[in-house]
Amino acid sequence: MPAPRTHARRSRRRLQFLLPGGLLSVAALGVLALFFPGASAQASTTAKASAVSNSVKECGSVNLKGVSTTHNSGNPFHSDNLVCFDGVLIRYGDSAITYTNPPTSYATAGKLLFDQTCSSCHGTEANGLLPDGKANIGPNLQGVGAATIDFWVTTGRMPAADVAAVEAERKPPRLTDKEALEVAAYVNSLDPSVPAVPTANLKDANLADGANLFQLNCAACHTITGAGDALAFGTNAPSLQNRQVTAQQVVEAMRIGPANMPRFSGNLSDAQVRDVVAYVTEKIQHPSNPGGLGLGGVGPVAEGFVALLLGVGGLALICFWIGERS
Amino acid sequence: MSDEQEHGHVQEHEPTRTKVPMPIATLSDPHLGDAAKNPARAEAIIALILLLGTIVIAGFGAAYWDNWNPWAIGATMGAGLFLLGFGLTAWGKYLMPQGPFVEERHVLASSSEERGSMAAALVERSAVVVKRRKLLGGIFALGSGIFGIVAIFPLLRSLGPPPGTSLKGTDWKKGSLLVDSNGRSVNHGTLVVGGIMTVYPEGLQNTSVGQAVDQTVLIRVQDSDLVTAEGRESWAPAGYVAYSKLCTHLGCPVGLYEQQLELLVCPCHQSMFNVRNGAVPQFGPAPRPLPQLPLYFDANGDLRAQGGYDQAVGPGYFERTTTKENGT
Repeated sequence: MPAPRTHARRSRRRLQFLLPGGLLSVAALGVLALFFPGASAQASTTAKASAVSNSVKECGSVNLKGVSTTHNSGNPFHSDNLVCFDGVLIRYGDSAITYTNPPTSYATAGKLLFDQTCSSCHGTEANGLLPDGKANIGPNLQGVGAATIDFWVTTGRMPAADVAAVEAERKPPRLTDKEALEVAAYVNSLDPSVPAVPTANLKDANLADGANLFQLNCAACHTITGAGDALAFGTNAPSLQNRQVTAQQVVEAMRIGPANMPRFSGNLSDAQVRDVVAYVTEKIQHPSNPGGLGLGGVGPVAEGFVALLLGVGGLALICFWIGERS
Repeated sequence: MSDEQEHGHVQEHEPTRTKVPMPIATLSDPHLGDAAKNPARAEAIIALILLLGTIVIAGFGAAYWDNWNPWAIGATMGAGLFLLGFGLTAWGKYLMPQGPFVEERHVLASSSEERGSMAAALVERSAVVVKRRKLLGGIFALGSGIFGIVAIFPLLRSLGPPPGTSLKGTDWKKGSLLVDSNGRSVNHGTLVVGGIMTVYPEGLQNTSVGQAVDQTVLIRVQDSDLVTAEGRESWAPAGYVAYSKLCTHLGCPVGLYEQQLELLVCPCHQSMFNVRNGAVPQFGPAPRPLPQLPLYFDANGDLRAQGGYDQAVGPGYFERTTTKENGT
């Protein structure tokens, strides 16, 4: 399974900036305890609340265009855990999903990559404008959040193979995961925004809830088996059975609504998104076909066709052999 | 054959049969194929096939008994039966004499005398025994007639429960609170632009009627109030617009929302509804726009319905006119 490997890589990466952040919040708690003697026993419970109230000013300005105001649905200021440092939003989320911004130190390398790979369509300022102020080919990327950049780049959709195509198709990524985060750090530095790059904690996921939510919210376009389907005007809902689709990318897609996919915001909590993702990565991508060939779960018509073709066709051949006259 | 001949046969009480002696099988029999002329080799090959089939069938027994994985059970059963059948067929095909064998049969028809006496007996007896019996015939006709009527019942029942008033209206009424499948209400900040969710009137989200008739898609199209059509100025506050989820073609759930194209697409027959202009169908077989639910924010900031749908939801039926314009 590829998931744990990327998981480990990601958590190691997170450690680089979480460690100082964590140390600092411990120090801040210590200071708090000094101001409120006797409150140290409660410190662990009040930590979350104080972190939120403190960080609103410490987080600097954050463009919240892309998130709802529902609690624990991807909005940093309506989530259980919020970590900011020095005017920069570092991490937020809850026990189900943690959203982490790539470290600001990535932005320098990210600008270089952006200039080389993205700027010809999106403009050097990532604002979708040519130097003369006219609209460029690509859209404005400022304020879309690091998760958006990470999704489009790690799924290989960007840089696009054909800018005139109706939709940028999934393909092997041109940039590495780290380079994607670097580009995200650069674009995010131009207009700090959310959603940040998510990590789902699939350990406590409820697969049954995930299946229900998948049927209600996802199956309409991606089909009940996640095989994907054609939509209007040459667009399509891609297959989710592709095991290269990671849990992180599924969370990103739900929270950012890439291309024609709707954006699932306040109507799905982080815990519910986590459940859906667990269902996709465990059941959709690893279907159990106790009866034999699943045929990609494309449906009874296709299955019946194959059964008729192989079954009746095979029987016809055998009949031909039995009845053959010498 | 002539009458005379038939007559003679009847008298002798012997069936007419062409006597063809069954040929004695020899290796020079023209009915034997090439393989059968060298039977030792063919028999060995067929024996091998049958033996293999026997072993695989025994393996199937072991697989079934020991509960191996379904692939092994299916493969051993399939392969075993196939090998046994293959062996059996090959036995018949390559070791046995091949036809065509012709066996003459006697004339099937009775003689004219027999037919004549039968007809005479029928006519003679009909006056007493074989005649019309109105009582029996009438009772039988009654019984089978009732059975014929009863046979229609399951057909009617298979159409499902009667629709009641659900063809005319839904449970949405003035002040109905919009809730999702978990019963949570929707406020100003719940959806961002490009978001979609399915909502129900409060309390009916887990009922079959609520899920079948009242289901409504709630889409946030823009940040500011949206006017989808003349006379609907206040229906979509803060860009929240709600349409019946039942396609006006055949009632499929219109759940595919393409947020850049701002189109709702029906998965069954690809009807496309533009969410900006009141869900007027712009492609596909749907004859009418999706009915739009007028919304407002209450004092708590939760979305409620200004009233029910102004027209019946779902597909058209014979008492309803279907015009493209306003669906009235």
